[in-house]
Amino acid sequence: MIRLQNVSVTYPGGVEALRGVDLSVGEGEFVVIVGLSGAGKSTLLRVLNGLVPATSGSVIVDGTEVVGASAATLRRVRSRIGMIFQTFNLVHRTTVVNNVLMGRLSRVSPWRSTLGLWPAGDREAAMVALERVGIVEKAYVRASDLSGGQQQRVGIARALAQEPSLMLADEPVASLDPVTSRQVMGDLRRINEELGITTVVNLHFLDLAREYAQRLIGLRDGVLIYDGDIAKVDDDTFQEIYGRAITADDLLAVGEEPASPNGD
Amino acid sequence: MTTSASAWPTRPQIRVRTYGITLALVAFTVFAARKVGFSPSTFWEVWSNPLWEKFWPIPWEWVLDGDNVIKPLIETFQIAVLSTIVGCSLALPISFAMSPLTTPNQPTYLVSRAVMNVVRAVPDLFWAKLLVTAIGIGAFAGTWALSVFSLAIMVKLFSETIDNADSGPLEAARAAGGRHTPVVRTGVFPGVFPAYVSYALYVFELNIRASVVLGLVGAGGIGRVLEAQRQFFKFDRILGILVLIFVVVWVVDHVSVALRKRLV
Repeated sequence: MIRLQNVSVTYPGGVEALRGVDLSVGEGEFVVIVGLSGAGKSTLLRVLNGLVPATSGSVIVDGTEVVGASAATLRRVRSRIGMIFQTFNLVHRTTVVNNVLMGRLSRVSPWRSTLGLWPAGDREAAMVALERVGIVEKAYVRASDLSGGQQQRVGIARALAQEPSLMLADEPVASLDPVTSRQVMGDLRRINEELGITTVVNLHFLDLAREYAQRLIGLRDGVLIYDGDIAKVDDDTFQEIYGRAITADDLLAVGEEPASPNGD
Repeated sequence: MTTSASAWPTRPQIRVRTYGITLALVAFTVFAARKVGFSPSTFWEVWSNPLWEKFWPIPWEWVLDGDNVIKPLIETFQIAVLSTIVGCSLALPISFAMSPLTTPNQPTYLVSRAVMNVVRAVPDLFWAKLLVTAIGIGAFAGTWALSVFSLAIMVKLFSETIDNADSGPLEAARAAGGRHTPVVRTGVFPGVFPAYVSYALYVFELNIRASVVLGLVGAGGIGRVLEAQRQFFKFDRILGILVLIFVVVWVVDHVSVALRKRLV
């Protein structure tokens, strides 16, 4: 599904966000990436759909090379990749269903979407996507009138409307309260299991990572320093990724028993 | 200089400069007033001029007789409406091309900026004179001149609004694999549309007033009547015309302000 070879990203200005990352993710996996802010998590996700171009290396998604791809190729690759954002990135002044329809952009002719004349089939697909995240009754409500959790569900529906084979979630719960966070993570997990969509999620709460991930990837200063089954992850692993002792701030710690508080 | 106070940061010294700037502004105002011979006494001299007595009484039967004032006033209104529509329609795509956030590519960005800078550099009265010379005296020239004027203002206001638009939805639309125009249309346009309508109404207000002025140089409408009456020293009629213009401007301003309040 995903194969990264020796991928590096240097931003204009000289910041090295990723350094020589090798990674492969198989069909249907649920992968969580953890690391401190600035460790390169967001960059890693954006390299996958070409929103951030890799400076060097090779990024192959679904059999297509993304690095150096033409605009048309990039659009084709992106059409198969759903993306969810920390701040939801909804258009606040329009309806929920119009936001979800953005997920159909790659399938609808440019003039139709520009004029807002969405074909009936695409409107239906948008409603089905909303149904899947349980807020279809909000379809004609303005996006700004929804709560944070509902807005993120619209974000998920927008990604689902693409009928993607890969789902990228960039800190999807960082702007949400603990209870809503678990609901949204649950949605992502359910979608992964029911639809078999490969999912890559950035998180900074370690207990959430432990609870939802199948496989954990640790980034530190742009270097991939951990990659393994979640069952084998212990507090020492997290300390190594974070480069310091784990504190209460690193945990969401609500609901079930918090991931073994490490006493030191 | 006792205890810990010595460790506090010193307050930044901005006072001297502030006084300096204020003093310079006052000095310049006095200098400019001397240079152009302005003084409060000249103001009173103007008011005691016998010319003012010729403004009274207003010959209402002439002023309200359809062809004299009402018809040209309607023409002024039509010029304002038409030029607002033409100018603002042209401004829509140009504004998106001129904003770094939404421009399709660098050449389009640079060319549209350069062209609009040239258009703005030419004063609107000069545009009117130029067009009157080119296409003849009348409302047609006035409409064109005001369209250019509307375009210049609208592009300035609206492109700056686009610059400050939320880039989040734009990123989401791009990530979904859309082409440039639909991405901008769905990701940015709904957020800035209310501002667009609000500016268009504001431009219309300006156009109503500007179309009176443009009439003075032969671009049709009520301004032409105003100029003709001035040449024949019919100051009582002029006052009547000004009263009617005042009524129109007042009504348009109030309707426009009321509409704009509901938009933002």
